[in-house]
Amino acid sequence: TAPTNDSEIRTVFDDPENFNVKHPLMNTWTLWFTKPPSGKGDNWNELLKEVISFDSVEEFWGIYNNITPTSDLALKSDYHLFKKGVRPEWEDTQNKHGGKWAFQFKDKKSINIDALWLHVMLAAIGENLEDEDDKEVMGVVVNVRRGFYRIGLWTRTVGKGRGDQGKQVLEKIGRRFKQALQLKETEMVEFSGHTDAAQAGSTRAKAKFIV
Amino acid sequence: ETNKPVEPAQPTAGMQSLKSARFLQVRSELVNYPGGIKSPNPALNLGSRGKGRQYDKEFLLQFQEVFKEKPSVDWDMKLKETVGDSTDSARPQSAR
Repeated sequence: TAPTNDSEIRTVFDDPENFNVKHPLMNTWTLWFTKPPSGKGDNWNELLKEVISFDSVEEFWGIYNNITPTSDLALKSDYHLFKKGVRPEWEDTQNKHGGKWAFQFKDKKSINIDALWLHVMLAAIGENLEDEDDKEVMGVVVNVRRGFYRIGLWTRTVGKGRGDQGKQVLEKIGRRFKQALQLKETEMVEFSGHTDAAQAGSTRAKAKFIV
Repeated sequence: ETNKPVEPAQPTAGMQSLKSARFLQVRSELVNYPGGIKSPNPALNLGSRGKGRQYDKEFLLQFQEVFKEKPSVDWDMKLKETVGDSTDSARPQSAR
């Protein structure tokens, strides 16, 4: 019953209770959560939960403002923010040939993990991590562990098949990721392929690229 | 899988606006934001083709204190089922 003219554009900044337009994202994103294992032999599929999908800036903030901050999560939890339709697992056919950029924050007390994770999510949904034609970014992830926080960015390929250009695209994405994390030039971000990591039996495979 | 509506709580005005609002036509509509609100960096979207657009961090952060609505009336329950409390991951399911 608001006496407003609906041909007028009203954003959430004009009226947060009665707006008529929202800001579209380039992609629809899905937030996932990994529960810490209970220690009773639960399988990964039961631990990985799809939380919600969204495709507007307003929806993102509604979720962010009403969800547990990373700093309050139990050890062995993860948040994953992936493009809709991609499961945040190596086994997903769309990730099979991919890899990830990652950085470990080993001094958990000296950093603000909530701000860092927020800035990486904003870079992802605002499409600042890649150029439109790169089509490499699958999602971003934060891992809460005993000795560190780790933030990662998953890519569709490991830079193969396009000659040197593939490597250059991944390195450009790596530098933008590093920028979103506000790291110093001397703090190196490492890229590894998912299958390399799987074969090494650990997520700490030998780095393929470094920026 | 469908969630049975447990309690028909009323969505807030903000929730309803979010649902009924249409997407801005980012390539054809120019928005006059209220004073003090910065527009998205126009340099980011030259030649972009998708339905959405690129947004710089400074633009996006302006929404943080403005839009705080829960995604749905059953959000707290949904959150409990997915993210949960850090202490209740081993809690048995409620009676069915």
